[in-house]
Amino acid sequence: MADKQYKALIIDDHPLISEAYKSAFHKITKEDPSISFKIDVANDCDTAYDFIKQYAKNSDTIDIIFLDISLPPSKDGKILSGEDLGLKINQLIPDSKIIVSTTFNDNYRVHSIFKSINPDGFLIKNDITPKELVTAIKALISGAPYYSITVMKMLRSQVSNDMLLDDIDRKILYELSIGTKMKELPHIVLLSINAIEKRKRHLKHVFDVKSTEDRELIHSAKEKGFI
Amino acid sequence: MKILAKYLTITVYILFSYLLLSCSDTKQIKTHDPVEIKDSISIWIKNSRIKTNSLIQKKNNLSKAYNNLNLKPNDKYKTKNLSIVAYRYYELKDTLLFQKINKETQELAYQLKDSFTIADTHWSLADYYNHREIYEKSYFHYKEAYIFFEKIDKEYQTARMLFAMAFIKGRYRDYSGSEVLTIKAIEKFKKLNNYKWLYSSYNQLAILQNDIQEYDKSILYHKKALVFFNKIKSKNKKYLSSYNNMGSSYFKKGNYSKALKYYNIDLKKDNNMIDYARILNNRAYCKIFLNDTINVKRDLFEALRIRDSIGNQASVMVSKINISDYFKYIKDTTNALKYVKEANFIAQKIKNGSNYLNSLKKLAVLDIKNSKKYLERYIQFSDSLSTAERKVQNKFTRIEFETDEHIEESKRLSEQTIIISITSVGLILILSLAYFLRTQKSKNEKLVLEAEQQKANEQVYLLTLEQQAIIEEERVQERNRISEELHDGVLGRLFGTRVGLGFLDFDASEETQKQHESFLEELQEIEKEIRDVSHKLSNNFSADQINFSTLIKQLLKTNSTTGNFKHQVSFDEQIAWKNISQLIKINIYRVVQESLQNIVKSAHAKNVILDFSIKSTTLVVLLKDDGVGFNIKKAKKGIGIKNMKSRIKKLKGRLEIESKMEQGTSITIEIPVTN
Repeated sequence: MADKQYKALIIDDHPLISEAYKSAFHKITKEDPSISFKIDVANDCDTAYDFIKQYAKNSDTIDIIFLDISLPPSKDGKILSGEDLGLKINQLIPDSKIIVSTTFNDNYRVHSIFKSINPDGFLIKNDITPKELVTAIKALISGAPYYSITVMKMLRSQVSNDMLLDDIDRKILYELSIGTKMKELPHIVLLSINAIEKRKRHLKHVFDVKSTEDRELIHSAKEKGFI
Repeated sequence: MKILAKYLTITVYILFSYLLLSCSDTKQIKTHDPVEIKDSISIWIKNSRIKTNSLIQKKNNLSKAYNNLNLKPNDKYKTKNLSIVAYRYYELKDTLLFQKINKETQELAYQLKDSFTIADTHWSLADYYNHREIYEKSYFHYKEAYIFFEKIDKEYQTARMLFAMAFIKGRYRDYSGSEVLTIKAIEKFKKLNNYKWLYSSYNQLAILQNDIQEYDKSILYHKKALVFFNKIKSKNKKYLSSYNNMGSSYFKKGNYSKALKYYNIDLKKDNNMIDYARILNNRAYCKIFLNDTINVKRDLFEALRIRDSIGNQASVMVSKINISDYFKYIKDTTNALKYVKEANFIAQKIKNGSNYLNSLKKLAVLDIKNSKKYLERYIQFSDSLSTAERKVQNKFTRIEFETDEHIEESKRLSEQTIIISITSVGLILILSLAYFLRTQKSKNEKLVLEAEQQKANEQVYLLTLEQQAIIEEERVQERNRISEELHDGVLGRLFGTRVGLGFLDFDASEETQKQHESFLEELQEIEKEIRDVSHKLSNNFSADQINFSTLIKQLLKTNSTTGNFKHQVSFDEQIAWKNISQLIKINIYRVVQESLQNIVKSAHAKNVILDFSIKSTTLVVLLKDDGVGFNIKKAKKGIGIKNMKSRIKKLKGRLEIESKMEQGTSITIEIPVTN
């Protein structure tokens, strides 16, 4: 097996976490010296974006990118989170493999990240142990996707509930679940209040909720893994 | 002016030649009740009346009676006879003795309070002054006599007094006053069937009408007077030239031929010389207007001759004016001027105002050279005459007023009490009305104040809600912030630390390695817990709004404890409380609160049911109790129910109360909402 060096980019605002990822890479190299990693670390959106642009300029790809979702926005305000950064990566260096690593574990966010970035790996930080981290990196570099246990559960539950909810439905449910007021909703989902009400009635019908109170609806949606 | 002042006291009597009513008529008719012949005094008095006796004999008899009477004890008999004696002296033209005895008698009568004699003496005095043409004094005494006669209900005498007073008033051209008095007199004479005086009264009335130029009325009264005249049975009835008078009325009306006819009727009668002269003169004068001068001059001068011979200056003056007119008619200006000048002179002499004026006017026409002078004198005198007349009239009124005063006193007192009671009742009414208005106003003010307070309360409530919402939001934000901090910050670092620790290679016993592993797992558990806490913190849904149903439940619970009743609340799940405006919620809350308070206060209910439901777009609230109920009609006016109704009405809703005694009350509220 020829020596192979992989290019890796760690995007996380916590240096502690970056170090942990680095340790994982070192562990792999230590176990199998033929595999080595060229590791770059970015602690904020701007740095990360610079790296991405650099690779794009050289028409190069990154073999593995650890992408945290909750990051402080870039200075110009164009990149607000890891999700935006993920989109940039897909756009600039599309062959790169992304492994999302986030503390978010709510179904809606996970689902929306799947929808927008479609990462090769998805880790919920709390799920993983050092061993799993190593497994995830190995899977990624071998070309297989890797999802941590919570993500897996969610995907499974969605498959088992064959409800047809579009993104807007999900967004409405999500916003309601975090206590967004009805009158604020039109600004967020960009629909008229009547349209939102209509969707809600439909959602209540789908989730078989009789009460007019939203609480029941949210409760039901949560149970079924939509939020 | 001095001359004018003199005229004040004189008669302003319009001496139309036909006017027959003379002073002597009223005066000499005074008669006394026949006294018993038996006692000597009445015999002496009677003797004084015997016409065949000489004046000295008459006087002797009277003085005997007087001296004898003075010896008698003071009683009504004495005063009555004294009064007769006094009047007899007056009739015998011994005015000194008359005045003396009459005065004594009157004083005595006043002492004895003998109303009849008081009145009688006044009457005598009135006659005396009337004869002397001192009419004011005369009027005063007639009035006094009238009052005292009226006191003792002497109808005949009071009627006589009224007639006399009317006569005097007529002389001073107070025609309406005179008419009133005459009519009063007529009423009394009618009661007494006294045709003689009815004739005189109607005659007087007719003359008054003539004076105010109501000729038709005057003729009517004359005819009436004649009816009464024909009823008089007494032989010595006195005829008052009624036809002559009627003739004059027709003459004044311009119906000369008819006037002539009537004059002719009277001329055929048996007249005394004065009347004959008057009628003769009138007829001749009338003929001039019929352009018939035959015998006119003769008749006019015949009348003048008779009048001259009698020495009645007034009638001579009238004759002369008429003769002047005759000369004027036949265009003999010199003679016309001569006679009118003579008439004018007499008028001035006897102080006859109206004929003085009349002659002045004629002089102004005839004496063209001095016309202006006469006219000026005419105007000046005319003015002062009317002033003088007015003064005299006022004087009469004053006399009447002063004497009326004590009669009217009691009347006035009763009137006063009536006025006082009316005003006090009115005052009480006004005051009570004012009080009523005031209380109403303050009530209204109170209501307005209450309404304002209520509004303020509601605003405070709304503000509180808003404030609470803001606080709640702040809290939510704060919780979200903490949640985020935990999630992103703490959790991330913990994760980093854990993984870092996991990759740490160190030589240790297997035991230690295991321990290391378990610590890592423990850390992972902590991470989970932190995440759960973070999630719970950010799961704000349950606390997003102040819950209306919770408030209602709380309200019912509190009231049920105080009112000691069981309660049951149900909410239709279809109701989207979130979408129902705060205003509706507040008002429903208040109405329910008020109703519950009523239930606690007076219903003595055992069970209370509160139900919220929705029918399409109408929110229906039903509150039922099984208490004692109340009378809705009475309670409708109460502030509580009014308030509740107005609250719901403002929301375009409807509030209905049904209550039956001993069967409880149910309140239904229906409010349109957009669900």
